[in-house]
Amino acid sequence: MTFAVPLYITGVVAVISILIMVLFLRAGQTPGSADWIQGARSNGGMVWSLCGFLGYMGAQSVATTFPFALTLGATRRHFVLGTVFWWATTAGYLAAIFTALCALELATGHWFADLYIFDVYLLGSGSLWRIALIVFGGTLSIFSLGGVFAASWVRFRNRGPMALGAGLVLLILVALIITVPSFGRIVDAFQGWWLMVAAAAVIACSSVGTWGFLRGSSVR
Amino acid sequence: MLDGKGPIFAQIADRIADDVVAGTYPEHGPIPSINEFSVFFRTAPMTVGKAITQLVDQGVLYKKRGIGMFVAEGAPALLRARRADGLRSEYIAPLLREAALIGVDLPTLHQLIDQEASS
Amino acid sequence: MTTAIDVRSVHRSFGRTPVLHDLSFQVPEHSILGLLGRNGAGKTTIMSIIAGQDRPTSGEVLVGGHTPFEHAPTLNTIRYIRDSQRYPDDYHLRHVLRIGPVFAPHWNAELADALVDGFALPARVQVKKYSRGQLSALGIVLGLASRTPITLLDEPYLGLDVGARRVFYDALLRDYAEHPRTVVLSTHLVQESESLFDRVVILDGGRVVASGDRDEVVGGLVQLSGTTGAVGELIAGFDVLRTDKVGGLCSALVRTDNDLAAAAHRLGVQVSGASLQDLVASYGPGSRTTEEVAARPARSPPPGCT
Repeated sequence: MTFAVPLYITGVVAVISILIMVLFLRAGQTPGSADWIQGARSNGGMVWSLCGFLGYMGAQSVATTFPFALTLGATRRHFVLGTVFWWATTAGYLAAIFTALCALELATGHWFADLYIFDVYLLGSGSLWRIALIVFGGTLSIFSLGGVFAASWVRFRNRGPMALGAGLVLLILVALIITVPSFGRIVDAFQGWWLMVAAAAVIACSSVGTWGFLRGSSVR
Repeated sequence: MLDGKGPIFAQIADRIADDVVAGTYPEHGPIPSINEFSVFFRTAPMTVGKAITQLVDQGVLYKKRGIGMFVAEGAPALLRARRADGLRSEYIAPLLREAALIGVDLPTLHQLIDQEASS
Repeated sequence: MTTAIDVRSVHRSFGRTPVLHDLSFQVPEHSILGLLGRNGAGKTTIMSIIAGQDRPTSGEVLVGGHTPFEHAPTLNTIRYIRDSQRYPDDYHLRHVLRIGPVFAPHWNAELADALVDGFALPARVQVKKYSRGQLSALGIVLGLASRTPITLLDEPYLGLDVGARRVFYDALLRDYAEHPRTVVLSTHLVQESESLFDRVVILDGGRVVASGDRDEVVGGLVQLSGTTGAVGELIAGFDVLRTDKVGGLCSALVRTDNDLAAAAHRLGVQVSGASLQDLVASYGPGSRTTEEVAARPARSPPPGCT
């Protein structure tokens, strides 16, 4: 179950990507042209569409599993540790699959048909170490975000996620207000590793937040 | 099974005593284990244990270490004698109260008893 | 007798609403305790605290000498099944049967299988789509097959029919006989299961109103009924738990060691034995006001029949 779902997700990604390419083809583009590659590699829709599902998995792993774990006599501490470990395992597994398939895509000349499924900008444009890091970091970030929202719900019911969401939006707005004047310079100086640091921060904050919420919550 | 009025252990003791008087468990014969009674009467083993202890104290049952509980010699006679005492307070007194309540006089009551006995 | 569960002056409030007031009682090891009381009396709340799923606002609960909250060795000895037990979204029966033993070293698969058969639990239906009775049955499987030293079942019979309840009673007593443990059952259906308990705790409005050996709690209880005047005269000076008046008639539940038969006969009052059910019902809504209920444990002025 745990390991079948990511495979299923990958399959869905592939099918959607292929359909989008077929759409391009029908729109009159030539496979293999510079335009084609540019368009295909910019296709990030299916990556985003995955986020929703991964977020649900992260939330589900806390919201309905927490009461059951306590019923089985687990401590909150062990539950949070185990859940974070499960997120990391699943993220690692997903990263391994994406990386392997990306390697296969590169080796087969994009599936012998100029199909850009894993070799896209969002996933590192065909760099194997990048796709591995992006998928691992991205999946873990989304899991942990889903988890912390679910934990806030377990602790405070509906008020939890609402307050947490409002807080996050506020934080982002404040950050934008502060950085907007120097936005140009920041974009120029942008480095790929910034994203990794951001992901690490999100994962750390969310995991600690999940623990913080669950530590004091009672099951109802 | 048990009506829940009053102490359960006393009801169980009465039920086991009934079976001893009726000869279901003969003298020196074994009785079922506490666990068997527990499932049969649908009651906690501790409650059955109390009933058995009471019967042991009354000399109705005795314990063979490591084997189980047995009916004591003379237990049926003992129980019969004790119950004869109870016959008056538990059956005759309520009978007379009921008879008085509904206006049945003593001669009529005697007559009813004779009829029931001969039927 | 070793104390398995020790509840000491537990208070619990949710926000500004107090739910438990100064709760204290002990559960000896290897006993079957009935936790009784009407809905809202605080049964689920105190069970959650005993199971370490919630914390008291003040006071403490010791299970095997330890506070259970976040104490792994203690939590491992407890299995608490809620009346509305939740399972992960995608769970089927087989997942429950597979994960149960992982968290319960003494898990008994034979017992689990026998119960699944006895309750005819469907394997192909998702647990979240189970009916009320099926959910209760699954909880019983998980609760009994785990064979943990402490088993807490919250309203285990909800939605179960007569046959399924019999399966439960038989399995509980048979397994309990072979593997004694401490069992706490909460229920508001007292009548059918009252012979099952060797100990009882009765809660009312978040307070313990009766606690102890089942037969001692019920012992000496009698139900009297007759004209208001006659019953009033008879019960004067006794410990009166509840009175109900209808027209000129009155019925009273009293606790007494005296034999009232003769006096009752003289006054034309009916006397009958009282059950645990009668006692629990005596804490229901009635002629008493809330203040009187609160004063009850102190046995201050009994409600008369006048």
